[in-house]
Amino acid sequence: MSIIIISSDSYEKGEEIAHNAARALNYACLDRELLAVVAARYGIPQDRLEWALESSPSSWGRSARLQDRCLAYMQSTTLGELLKDNTVCHGLAAHLYVVGISHALRVRILAEPVELAGEISGQVDVPSERVSKLIDRQRKLRQHWSLTHYQLDETDPSQYDLVISLSQIHKDEAIKIIAQTVGYRRFAPMTYSLRCIKDAELASRVRAALLETFPKVKVRAEGGTVIVETKGTRRNKLKKAAAIKEQVQNMEGADYVEVHVKNGLFRKTP
Amino acid sequence: MAIITISRGSYSKGKEVAEKVAARLGYECISREVLLDASDRFNIPEVRLIRAIHDAPSILDRFSHGKQAFMAYIRYALACRAQKDNLVYHGLAGHLLLMGIPHVLKVRVIANLGDRVKSEMSREKISEEEARSLILRDDQERRKWTRSLYGLDPWDSALYDLVLHIHKLTVDDAVAFICEAAKLKQFESTPETRRKMDDLVTACEVKALLADEYVDVRVACEFGNVLIYTKSGGRLQHKLQESARKLGREIKGIHHVEVHPGVPAPAQAV
Repeated sequence: MSIIIISSDSYEKGEEIAHNAARALNYACLDRELLAVVAARYGIPQDRLEWALESSPSSWGRSARLQDRCLAYMQSTTLGELLKDNTVCHGLAAHLYVVGISHALRVRILAEPVELAGEISGQVDVPSERVSKLIDRQRKLRQHWSLTHYQLDETDPSQYDLVISLSQIHKDEAIKIIAQTVGYRRFAPMTYSLRCIKDAELASRVRAALLETFPKVKVRAEGGTVIVETKGTRRNKLKKAAAIKEQVQNMEGADYVEVHVKNGLFRKTP
Repeated sequence: MAIITISRGSYSKGKEVAEKVAARLGYECISREVLLDASDRFNIPEVRLIRAIHDAPSILDRFSHGKQAFMAYIRYALACRAQKDNLVYHGLAGHLLLMGIPHVLKVRVIANLGDRVKSEMSREKISEEEARSLILRDDQERRKWTRSLYGLDPWDSALYDLVLHIHKLTVDDAVAFICEAAKLKQFESTPETRRKMDDLVTACEVKALLADEYVDVRVACEFGNVLIYTKSGGRLQHKLQESARKLGREIKGIHHVEVHPGVPAPAQAV
């Protein structure tokens, strides 16, 4: 009755291991097929969602905001699915937002370097001197991406419970290790960890709903109480707080809404 | 029948894991013993070897190359121990010193900074701030050391087969994982891997005996054929060729020695 979150430097390898682990444990597998659901729910083309997951963060305002929104929509939908438990999740950046949930086992899979370089460059035979350069560049891009959007470095091993390199350890052995680990009692859901994931799902759902109108909004939830933080000028403070409250109070699971509008430097600040 | 290297930060419980793994598998568990061996064999005070393996090279060290000679002694001592097989090494840089040997299981054990700080506080009876600063300084030193000598980052998970995070996973879980991984076929020593190990020992011995006099020398060995690479030419080159021939006669297991001046050394050269 747990969640397994698989992150990998190679999408293909991560996907294969996630599917096989789900099959071995009789769990559901959540992957990028979910993007079709997100696209339909929020009216965003699916290729835009994929772009948000893969592309390095843009420094241009509109593009950056769109990427933020796409990621927030994905986060909200993924967390909604993860409430169901017994799920293996891969390819949706869940390792960066399912944090502090004790029944989630977070695993990083590292592909064999030559295979990974081939995958990155789209070539079958990559010259050995290019292998480390390609991998290094890819790692820096992912570091930048994850730090910009989630303030976490996805290449940092301390973000995971387990990191398995496929250079020497075979895929089937990796799956066996994952299956064994998730069976430990400490990865079983508890009342507190279930409450934490419910709170995370509610907060992400509220944020996804507010993001189009209030792009810099921060949301957290504590057992049905939703706390929203944003910036505004003195003149529009009350108006803004009322607008947010009105939008959030009828959402499912939100029993009480608290809005904190801090003074922004410029009038335009949303 | 494997060699296990356990890399760890200070207060990451890596030592405890190593000792338990060795006890469960009936392997020898070593760390400081390698320094004592090197100290005896090359008649260098242990404290100088400790400094060489612990502190990052200073600007002066970069010119004098003293640290590289000490590292060659330590590498030779470790290779000799590893040649006997069935070994758990939890000292510094094991994964780098035994690089290229297929039956070495490379493990990194990490722990949360908060847990490490607590351990240091209770052991050293110091404040939280002091403990945190000591641990961070130690981590920084380790990073600088690996970068300056090997151009690699010890935090890079790709250097290891397994990275285990002691937080949700306990020491006993980590021990169970390592013991199971060590039993995998790919970590069993075979005549081929043992031959590679013998070649590494020979290359390390030649390097250790030359390192004091010839600073830029790198050595590779295959099937007992030793190849020495050097950037220096002229008189020093003739002297090196003379020394190499002498070593070829003195060291058991060397069939042939060649000196290649001005040729870039291959990646497996020590």
